[in-house]
Amino acid sequence: MRSGDVIGGALRALTAHGARSWLTLLAVAFGSAAVVLLSSLGEGARRYVLEEFTQLGTHLLIVLPGRNETAGGAPPLLGETPRDLTLQDALAMLRSVHVQQVAPIAVGQAPVSAEGREREVTILGTTADFLDVRHLSVASGRFLPSGDPERAMPYAVVGQTLAEALFGNASPVGRRVRIGDRRFRIIGVLSSSGVSMGDNLADLAIVPVASAQALFDNPGLFRVLVQARGRQGLDRAAEDLRRIVRERHEGEDDVTVITQDAILGTFDRILGALTLAVAGIAAISLVVAGILIMNVMLVSVSQRTAEVGLLKALGARQRDVMALFLTEAFLLAGAGTVAGVVLAYLGVWLVNMHLQAFHLSIPLWAPLAATLVALAAGLVFGLLPARRASRLDPVTALTGR
Amino acid sequence: MIELAGIERTFRVGDEVVHALRAVDLSLADGEYAAVMGPSGSGKSTLLNILGLLDRPDAGSYRLDGIETTTLPEERRARLRRERIGFVFQAFHLIPRLSAFENVELPLVLAGVAPRVRRERVRQSLASVGLTPRAAHRPDQLSGGQRQRVAIARATVMAPGLILADEPTGNLDRASGEEVVEALEALNRQGMTLVVVTHDPALGDRARRRVQMDDGAVLAD
Ligand SMILES: Nc1ncnc2c1ncn2[C@@H]1O[C@H](COP(=O)(O)OP(=O)(O)OP(=O)(O)O)[C@@H](O)[C@H]1O
Ligand SMILES: [Mg+2]
Repeated sequence: MRSGDVIGGALRALTAHGARSWLTLLAVAFGSAAVVLLSSLGEGARRYVLEEFTQLGTHLLIVLPGRNETAGGAPPLLGETPRDLTLQDALAMLRSVHVQQVAPIAVGQAPVSAEGREREVTILGTTADFLDVRHLSVASGRFLPSGDPERAMPYAVVGQTLAEALFGNASPVGRRVRIGDRRFRIIGVLSSSGVSMGDNLADLAIVPVASAQALFDNPGLFRVLVQARGRQGLDRAAEDLRRIVRERHEGEDDVTVITQDAILGTFDRILGALTLAVAGIAAISLVVAGILIMNVMLVSVSQRTAEVGLLKALGARQRDVMALFLTEAFLLAGAGTVAGVVLAYLGVWLVNMHLQAFHLSIPLWAPLAATLVALAAGLVFGLLPARRASRLDPVTALTGR
Repeated sequence: MIELAGIERTFRVGDEVVHALRAVDLSLADGEYAAVMGPSGSGKSTLLNILGLLDRPDAGSYRLDGIETTTLPEERRARLRRERIGFVFQAFHLIPRLSAFENVELPLVLAGVAPRVRRERVRQSLASVGLTPRAAHRPDQLSGGQRQRVAIARATVMAPGLILADEPTGNLDRASGEEVVEALEALNRQGMTLVVVTHDPALGDRARRRVQMDDGAVLAD
């Protein structure tokens, strides 16, 4: 038989049983679409996280108090508590030639009140460099002045949500507020809103780091953001930071320095694995669709027994019959998966039209994998019915015995 | 040229063994017209199936045009069926989703003949049974006699030397049965060997040779 005739014959047989074929095709389509859609969700999440991190700047280092256990070295001795990371430690970091800017961060919760209204928000103590390091800007007024970081000054910069909560539409710049038991004057409003890296930058107040330390009566810093001089200096800057703190902490290695690359790499790996996992789970639905193909083909073979007998009487060989039925299964799987992939692309396009920050993104391997798995399922599960048909005895098949 | 010698065919049904054919010897010259007759269950269909290479005997020799067929591999037997033998069944066995034209085309498709060549040969075959105007009709749009003539066109489209018909008029009324028989006899006049299984004595009388069967054996010839 010519291959064109095999395909044509299989198509005729499929269209003759319209409803059955369509339903099977639909099952394959949904399976394929699930693989593509779920992996686009995972890939979207991966890209979202990568982008968020890149927004932070590509040469950012984060210094945390306390030793990272997984970084190796001797375990801390019993009863030893990690030493605080202090403002002086942070300022000493500027000594490294590989460090450009340092933003120490102290945080706490406190009620902010003005004109009889009050709101409990995050208070973030930092220095003028924070604005640059986090790539932020102010909508009105100005940010914290760059003066002696160790001086507590009664200035506050507020986020937009907080500003509206306290003053409505009136401009908050120049107004006085009470934070905890201290008085501050608002000198600026942050323009950036929304959530970035887990911080709600709209609903907080930023004060000089020394003021925050006094407010919360805690000399320890939450963390220190360090901007390295260029990407190449990143590793050396990290080394310098560790050395500087070690010298200041009497030889104790009691801080953790995280580079952005390390975080990025970890997230990349975790989310990549997650994407593969959900795609794999979705692929199971394709195997189920394959079983459906087998079922439909078995029904088809038993309904067309006489037809198979006739083909053999007309001189069809076993492999002709085999090819005809396998092609049917293959066409079902192929058409189904193409429809499913198209459906998934359409779905992703539609969803992305309605999303702003987060976007679904189809990784290139997803449609390929969906198609391959679907075709393989069609072939594997088509094999049994096709073999059964090809081995029918022509006389029994014709007489319907 | 067909030569059967000592053909045996048995079926096992549970514990019982049914002798469908016993020591059948039969020779048919090219271009012969034979009617196989006998009571129900006498082995007529079994004989025809063996002649058509659809079934293998348990013992004996079957030479078709000098080739011993009983030992041929299935692939070669399929090829012989395709090229040398045309079947006409009592139940027509047309594929319902295909048009008359496509049903007739089927043996050519299976033989891998090019589409352009196929078209001409199908047209001739349909014309020879007088069904040119019905080419596009599906079987359910044709009468019984027309369906059987489509089946005859299909059996002859590969120009086989041997036509085997198992009660070709069994499902037809007298008038359309007559048309079908005439179509078959026309093929025989063109030189094809024709073997017809029938219960109808009138039809049997038209054949030049009558093979009488009973209980699996050929009684008279
Ligand atoms: N596949 C089979 N399995 C079991 N027994 C069979 C089979 N095929 C035929 N037989 C038996 O072989 C015998 C001959 O059957 P066959 O069909 O050749 O008869 P027939 O002469 O064609 O009868 P009819 O005129 O009714 O068509 C019968 O007894 C039948 O029951
Ligand atoms: Mg019979």
